[in-house]
Amino acid sequence: MNAENAIEVNDLKKSFKVYMDKGSQLKERVLFKKRNRYENREVLKGISFEVKKGEAIGLIGHNGCGKSTTLKLLSKIIYPDSGTIEMKGRVSSLIELGAGFHPDMSGRENIYTNASIFGLSKKEIDARVEDIIEFSELEEFIDNPVRTYSSGMYMRLAFAVAINVDADILLVDEILAVGDAGFQTKCFNKMKEIKADGTTIVIVSHAMGQIEQICDRSIWIHEGEIKAEGKPREVDPQYLEYIASERKNVTKKHLDKGNSKKEQEEEKEKKEECDSDTKDKTRWGNNKARITALRMLDEKGCENNTFITGEECVLEIKYNAKKEVENAIVGIGIYTLDDMRVYGTNTRIDNLPTFFLNESGTIQFRIEELPLLSGNYYLDVAIEQDLNTPVDYWRKAVSFNVFSKKEEAGVSQIKHTWLIK
Amino acid sequence: MKVFKEVYEYREMVFSLVRKELRGRYKGSVLGFLWTFINPLLQLLVYTMVFSVIMRQGIEQYYLFLFVALVPWMFMSASMVGGASCVIAQKDMVKKIYFPREVLPLSYVISSFVNMLLTFIVVFAVLIVTGFGINPLAVLFLPLIMMVEFLVCVGIAFLASALTVYFRDLEHILSIVAMAWQFLTPIMYPQSMVQESLEKHALLWKVWNLNPMTPVINAYREILYFKRIPDFNNIGSAIVLGLIVCVIGVIVFRHLQKGFAEEF
Repeated sequence: MNAENAIEVNDLKKSFKVYMDKGSQLKERVLFKKRNRYENREVLKGISFEVKKGEAIGLIGHNGCGKSTTLKLLSKIIYPDSGTIEMKGRVSSLIELGAGFHPDMSGRENIYTNASIFGLSKKEIDARVEDIIEFSELEEFIDNPVRTYSSGMYMRLAFAVAINVDADILLVDEILAVGDAGFQTKCFNKMKEIKADGTTIVIVSHAMGQIEQICDRSIWIHEGEIKAEGKPREVDPQYLEYIASERKNVTKKHLDKGNSKKEQEEEKEKKEECDSDTKDKTRWGNNKARITALRMLDEKGCENNTFITGEECVLEIKYNAKKEVENAIVGIGIYTLDDMRVYGTNTRIDNLPTFFLNESGTIQFRIEELPLLSGNYYLDVAIEQDLNTPVDYWRKAVSFNVFSKKEEAGVSQIKHTWLIK
Repeated sequence: MKVFKEVYEYREMVFSLVRKELRGRYKGSVLGFLWTFINPLLQLLVYTMVFSVIMRQGIEQYYLFLFVALVPWMFMSASMVGGASCVIAQKDMVKKIYFPREVLPLSYVISSFVNMLLTFIVVFAVLIVTGFGINPLAVLFLPLIMMVEFLVCVGIAFLASALTVYFRDLEHILSIVAMAWQFLTPIMYPQSMVQESLEKHALLWKVWNLNPMTPVINAYREILYFKRIPDFNNIGSAIVLGLIVCVIGVIVFRHLQKGFAEEF
């Protein structure tokens, strides 16, 4: 093993037997031989990489690509079919937080139990216990039984123990989603601090932003093989682009299947009497006119619910007016999943004249360059009359996904230039 | 060798599991930890009733003859039958985090061992109170023989717990095995009885002596019932057999544990 390296992985292969219906009892094994049929699923098809001491790497890839299996192999929970793993120093894995927590024991007692599972001796735990309590911010509650904790407090305590183990190699699986935003930032900073102290870190994550901030290198695992490897800045966008294109394929298939169903539903909806809508909290109005169909279109005019930041995007609204509607106004609102309004406008705000709705028609709302960043969003669409009379107000009418190729943070892209003197 | 170093590093985990096991055993019962003492006392009472009143035996003070052998046997039987499920019981942990898996059966055996030590307080109390008495010189050998029995139990528990992961029926089969094994070990009868009947079958006699629990139980009885220093040949074979069982257990476990996480 090279002296500079903390981890050397050589041609790692692993397959799992996926049993159709496994019998682990003698009777089942003998009587139902057929049940023992299994499928061999090759999860890792020979991957090799090295990690230098003090280096941080991020394993990326879509679900089921083998990145978590790699991490489990590194932490010795499972063993490879062939290939070797060599590691130098104490390994701590942040794969499962709060292992062995006992609800009836106090927070302090649980620190001891949990830390002992990481292989710490009593003396070592004694030396760390104050740091752990301080980090968890649970000073007031530390002698209460853990069952009285909220789930956030529970995770905070578990993370505080795991992060204070002082390992030479830290294996992390998607755990930075702990507690509130403030605590998350704290965890994140602690990770950086640990890295600065010279700990080798391997992270599995879907949060590219975090990987880019902590890791020196990304390894993209695809179908059990390493597809690309290099600086996160270079590898992550390739991966994201791939994911976005896959996503589009999937949603398209989904939409094709769903279309006929949707039409039926729409017809059914039309037949329904007006009063049934008023009970529905997501949709209300005086029903003189109804929105009959909503579609998101991409630049080619195809129906699509997934967009890449900067793409053109069109919302098409079809309506059907039962009675004439005078002084109509059409409005939209874009929201994030946690109900933050990103943008809202209507035809009046945009200084368009009010119009007259009769029979059916189509309205398009065009965004030339979608400024939203990665995430799920939904749209409210409304037809109003005069000033504040809702004709058909539809909350959460459409949802759509956005993928960003760049690693900007936040909700929206703000046009900018840098000037460095 | 690496195994021992690693398990030593995880000693705090072993202690915490032992504490949990001992504390959990009588949780919720009114008398709680006192049951550790009451239980063997009541057992002794039953044996005394049965064997001095109903089924009179040719052996003097038969209830003590039985009791000093039965207490160590119960440690063995608990390690085997109870130990079998100790890895499965912690499957959530085994699936998700790393620690040397040996910690699980080891801590189970230690908690059963502590239980036996506590029961021995009752044994000594009975020996003294009834006026049967003890030989302090012989009792000096007791810790040695307890350590030897501990080795046997570790070996058996390692084997049982690892095999049960792959073959769940073993949990049930083992309680029958424990019963048969109890009758094949001189617990309810003296060693001399078997020796007499196997006199003409030299081979059978050798096989019978391969039972690692036989020299252990004999030594306990010599120390506590016959109140004499145990036969050194006997202690020698106890140590050799104990080590063999222990080593086999550790090796088999080390080998089988690699697949634990995938079996659940």
